[in-house]
Parts: sequence; structure tokens; C-alpha cells
Amino acid sequence: MALNYDPNLIGRVFETTDAVEVKAERIQSFCETLGETNPLYADGKVAPPAYAVTFRNGRHFFQHVPRFGRAGFDAGKDVEFVRSIHAGDKITLSSHVKEIYEKTGRTGTMVFVVVRSTLSNQDGQEVAHIDHRFMSRT
Amino acid sequence: MATTLDLHTHSEASEDSRAPVEAYLNWIRLRHAERPLDGIVLTEHRQFNRDADYRHLEDKFGVMVLRASEVETNYGHVLVYGVNEDMLRRFDFANIRLDAQELIDEVVKMGGLAVPCHPGRPNIGLYEHYEKRPPLENVVAVEVLNGGSRKGEDERSAELVRRYGYSAVGGSDSHLVSLIGLCATRFAGAIRSVDDLVRELKSGDYEPVDFRPRRKPVPHAEAVQTR
Repeated sequence: MALNYDPNLIGRVFETTDAVEVKAERIQSFCETLGETNPLYADGKVAPPAYAVTFRNGRHFFQHVPRFGRAGFDAGKDVEFVRSIHAGDKITLSSHVKEIYEKTGRTGTMVFVVVRSTLSNQDGQEVAHIDHRFMSRT
Repeated sequence: MATTLDLHTHSEASEDSRAPVEAYLNWIRLRHAERPLDGIVLTEHRQFNRDADYRHLEDKFGVMVLRASEVETNYGHVLVYGVNEDMLRRFDFANIRLDAQELIDEVVKMGGLAVPCHPGRPNIGLYEHYEKRPPLENVVAVEVLNGGSRKGEDERSAELVRRYGYSAVGGSDSHLVSLIGLCATRFAGAIRSVDDLVRELKSGDYEPVDFRPRRKPVPHAEAVQTR
């Protein structure tokens, strides 16, 4: 049986967060936590690429995306780094459903919902894309 | 001239692989003594990457890159070789509920060949479906060696070959660069294109080869049958 959902859902931005200012102290704290000693990042002026994943949506994804079958789990993230995040940047995050697809594997049929969050700075420049992948069993 | 191809590979075009084609080819060049491949066939999940052009990489690394697809049916996963516009119009490759018999029959009519892969795998292999329903007709070959197989899966695949007289192929099913070429197929004839590949697959003159480390090599299908 084909998946039942509104196709207009795909690509429609369901949330854009308020801007969050990047503080040098937060970058330094992030570097300390990860053991990052590269002075390019450790002094807090430029964030290491992985810092992009610290930004969060304002609400839970599943208020906006359909649920399929039984409860699933986080099936991983793909992060595309576009440009550096600097201390003082103001980052907004907007999210949309990028893709919904089914596949079969050893353990049965699975449905994947991919939510793409785009991070942008105060100049409207994209700094990163994060694809959050969620899997449900049907 | 014999040709050895990895008939089952996934590049980053598949959603569950992170392997760039260039990295695959570089790995093959570096590991040619262990895995002597002449080429690979990209079999991306539920799609056919019709616009991809790997000629510059083929020239750079001296390794052939052909394109096919892995689709999902009511009898498990099937590799489709010789994909063309007629097939893409006829079947929605993203549909995970394709009718296997219809696919096998129609693909041949359209000039290709459909080969069930990892048939010994639970849920998505022929073996389990054959225990519940009649066997498919007009199957020419199945994938007997799969680089991602767990214990017992290749053995169940070999049992199908023995029982139904299918020809046997091998492929790595690689999703990671270092896994490319772990299993492959050695063809007696020369292959330089997808048309050559389909012709040779229909001929039956080939054998699966196992380049996995720390396992006994399986030189040809007969050896698989007698194990």
C-alpha cells in the first residue's frame, strides 16, 4: 500500500527560528568539550564546522511531519557545510520536509522522513544544511 | 578476453551510501593485486542515474563504470541491467512493491536482464519468498556471492542455484569505499558497454569470484554448489 500523505508537504518551510547570536565563549566551550585545540577555532573567533549541529528547531519536528506506522528512531544526520560561522554571526534556522520514501531491508519495510534545516547568517548567506533522517517501521 | 566486474555497488547517489565513485576507482587501482577488477556496475537503490557521466574517471583510473539499478519487488531486491527509457517509462523504480515476475519478463523484452540479488537474505531475498509462493519463471541468474552477506545467506543462495539451475553472479553490494570488489563476476567474454554486459549475462558464460579475505575462494558456481 502506498504511503498516504499530502504531497504539498514536501518542500514547504514549516518553521523559521529567531536569530541566535554566536558568542565567542560558546565556541570556546564547544571546542573544550570536543578537545578541539586548533587555534583557528579554539580562540573562539571561528566556529569549527561541527558547531552547526548545535542549532535547534524551536519545536519538535513531529508537530509538522506525518507519522508512519510504529514508533521509529533517529536514523542519522547528513551535514553540508557551506561557509564558516564566526563569533557575532546571527544564525537563523529554517526547516522543511525534504523527502519521504520507503525501502525494504532484512528486517522489513521502513519509511524514512528527511527534514532539511538550512542555517543562514545575518546577511542571508547559507552556512550549512542539516538533513535529519527519521525511520519508522510500517 | 575475460572481464571481471563488480556487478553490485552503491555510490553516494544511493541514500545509504557515502562512497564517491572516484574513491571507488582509486581504491580499485590501489588494491588491484587483491581485487583485480576491470570495472564496476553502479546499482543505485530505486533509481537510475541516467545523467551521470563517469568517462573522465574511467580515463583517469583505467576502470570501467557501467550503470544499472537495484529495485524492490514482491520477491525481494532485483538488479536491473540494461536500463533504458522504455523501462523507466514502464516501471516506477521508486516503488518498493514492483511485481517481480512482470519486471523480469518486461525487462527482457525491453533489451535488458533482471537478476535477483542476495537471494538468501531474509525478507528481501528469493529464498524466503520461494518458501511461501511459487518460484519465478524466466530467471536467468541470481547473485550467489554478496559482499554484505551474513552467515548462511550465500549458502542459501547457492542452494537456489542448485535447485533451479540458475546461473550465478557475484557483487560486493558495497556502500563503503573499502568494500568495493569483495565479490565480483568473471566473464569469459570482453565487456565494454552495458549492451555487452547484458549479452554476456544472457550467455551464462561467467562465474562468481570471491575476493573476501580469510575465506576460501569460490572459483566458480560449481564450487559453490558442492560446498
